[in-house]
Amino acid sequence: MTSHFDSHVRESMTWHFDTNTGSPFWLAKRAELGFDPIRDVRSAADLVLFPDVSAELRSVTVRDLVPKGLSDRVFQVYESGGTTGEPKRIVDCGYRVRMLAWARQRLLELGVPPGGDWLHLGPTGPHVAGSDVARHSAMGGGFFHSVDFDPRWVKHLMAHGLGEIAEKYLEHLLDQAEPILRTQEIAVLNTTPPVLEAICARPELYELVQSKVEAILWAGTSISLETLRQLREVFFPDKVIAGVYGNSLMGIAPQRRPVDDDIHPCVFTPFPETTRIELVGADGQPVDYGERGRVRLHLVTEEMFLPNVLERDTAVRVKPVPGEDVDGLADVQTYRALDEVEIIEGVY
Amino acid sequence: MAPIVIDPMIGARTVASADRSQLNGVSGEPVADVGLAPRLLAQSAVAELRADADGVPPDPAIFPRAAALFATENLAGASPNDYALNVIRSSGLTMSAVRRSVEEIVAQLTELPETTAAELPRTEFGNGFRTRWVPRGRLFAAVLASNHPAPNASWVQALFHGYSVLVRPGSRDPFTPLRLIAALTAAGLPAGKIAFLPSSHAVGEFLLGQADRGIVYGGESAVTRWRARESVAVRGPGRAKALLDADIDDTVLDHLAYSASFDGGARCNNLSAVLTSRPVAQVADGLALRLRKLPVLPATDPAADLLFLERGRAQRLERLIDSMRAELTDHSGGDSMVELDDGSVVPQPIVLSAPTASHPLVGTELPFPFVVVAPWTAADGIAPLRDSLVLNLITDRAELVSRALREPSVRKVVRGTVLPWATVPGIPHDDNFTQFLLEPKGCIGDSAE
Repeated sequence: MTSHFDSHVRESMTWHFDTNTGSPFWLAKRAELGFDPIRDVRSAADLVLFPDVSAELRSVTVRDLVPKGLSDRVFQVYESGGTTGEPKRIVDCGYRVRMLAWARQRLLELGVPPGGDWLHLGPTGPHVAGSDVARHSAMGGGFFHSVDFDPRWVKHLMAHGLGEIAEKYLEHLLDQAEPILRTQEIAVLNTTPPVLEAICARPELYELVQSKVEAILWAGTSISLETLRQLREVFFPDKVIAGVYGNSLMGIAPQRRPVDDDIHPCVFTPFPETTRIELVGADGQPVDYGERGRVRLHLVTEEMFLPNVLERDTAVRVKPVPGEDVDGLADVQTYRALDEVEIIEGVY
Repeated sequence: MAPIVIDPMIGARTVASADRSQLNGVSGEPVADVGLAPRLLAQSAVAELRADADGVPPDPAIFPRAAALFATENLAGASPNDYALNVIRSSGLTMSAVRRSVEEIVAQLTELPETTAAELPRTEFGNGFRTRWVPRGRLFAAVLASNHPAPNASWVQALFHGYSVLVRPGSRDPFTPLRLIAALTAAGLPAGKIAFLPSSHAVGEFLLGQADRGIVYGGESAVTRWRARESVAVRGPGRAKALLDADIDDTVLDHLAYSASFDGGARCNNLSAVLTSRPVAQVADGLALRLRKLPVLPATDPAADLLFLERGRAQRLERLIDSMRAELTDHSGGDSMVELDDGSVVPQPIVLSAPTASHPLVGTELPFPFVVVAPWTAADGIAPLRDSLVLNLITDRAELVSRALREPSVRKVVRGTVLPWATVPGIPHDDNFTQFLLEPKGCIGDSAE
């Protein structure tokens, strides 16, 4: 069976591996691949032929990532979080706008208000999240308020046992959010689960969010099932609460609308036009529906081609809903290898 | 056997959490299906308990009653023997160690009035001048470990003095606090004084930050950030040491071996290092000979005293021991781990010797009988004996005893062949815990209160 995405993959091979249109990065790779992408990659399933080149995004000159066919366009560069080493860089000249227009419709289906002002308590540049949220806000004609949050500094503090300073930093962030929430008309709050927890621990902020905000979007870190239930049923029972999975490389996969036979409270789906997420077992094969697997990503756009990227997350594979052909992801968690557990001295 | 289902409790309310964690026993089989409290649930618990916390101590008669129920009754569907078996399966302790810890908890609960009296100075000064000892706050948080049940007595003590208590159990031993809560409730403790919150260490830290007073048990990385916090009592690695500065004989070697191996070496006050003015190899060989005679027996055998470990944990410990063997001399002989048919592993006692008293591995504490022996001379003085929860001085040098007592990082001194955990009400484990919980307030005038 051949799908729309399969023909998109074939067309993209011709684009990315033609010397007139492809990027210096992929054109230089072509000879080392051991196969001919234009001849041999006929469908999405063939994308696993490619090596995972994402580690090279840490060092490659971003100019080499730009397809020659797009050399007249203005590109943005974004960086990944840097959780697993130095950050990776991607380039974008319009794909994200198309993806965000699609994602906006998905969020509206969940009850996120179509207009109104937004407050983003999360990373801005070099991370892509800030500009993504700003575009969401602009698409509904709203103002975009933000408080900058440097996740790398927090990760650095946590890695060095300085959790107490990280907590102070979070308080500093909330100190800045408070006057915005107090004086502005914020309809949508976009932030991370740890920031939401911290908001709930500050009564005056919690009251402000309760009285003003219509929808709360969470993204950036995983959330536990019970935390999600506490947010929906105990802390914000009258709000629209929607999750957005994603990262700088893949873009975003917003929560899809619930369907009757859902057993998961939150299921994410990626942008079907350009992105496939597979959940794979240790053998690299997709796991069955209902099983947990590690996230493997294929991003196929005009400006970026990123096949076969093994991410640091795991999730449960969920069947597509009627009328769609993309699997869902539920209960995303960070992947940890067994040998990462280290012994600590003491009787405990 | 189906795993036992355990969930967070806030007062009398059980919250069936959507976050589940399987607690596996030392042989790998599931023992309990534990619902975890994420931070937001813990926050609700803090708010609910604080709303009702009045600082008024419960009826003191509840505590000896609860102690008796804890030791003898069926509570929440578990007999004393069921409870002991659960702890044995999940923590790897032996039946005899669990039975002793029950006796220890019973003693600590029934002796609370004596302990209080012994740890507080007089309150009546005549002519209407008096002090009242009152809680320093309303909420107490206990972040427990799983090495041994006895530390659970600490949060009961906070309850006794009027605190409302947030209990974050050790991840391998939710059974002891659950049974204590059931015993206290059955003994008449009013509802709403306790929250039971199985959770991650991060949530434990949140509780410590929210509570007015707290206690944290754990390895160095878990406790470091709390050392400077006046409101938190820190119970980190004990690094108990002995100074053997007397002639070597069977009595003293038997004593040291017992100090290292009692309760499987799982206590924070088990001996971890011996500094000696006598021949180091002779002391180390003598200890190893005795410790290696300890038989590998089923955990329920009354004579069993060696700890059981889950296989993965044993493998990580073995790698650590191997790296230490590369630097120190091993006197133990033979394998360091014995695998049992059920999949659990018994770590064999290890005795290593170091070339100098200042070697960084002297004082390393591991959760089974593990001792590093190192040379000591009078010229070394107190320096190598520092950082000891308990210091066992076997020496005639009276001046050294005096200096040890004055050394801030030595928390308790025992002399001769006295065991490190020997105690009566009024002997501090590590500082005056009653005064950590209570503060004196002047109350002057004629009226009685």
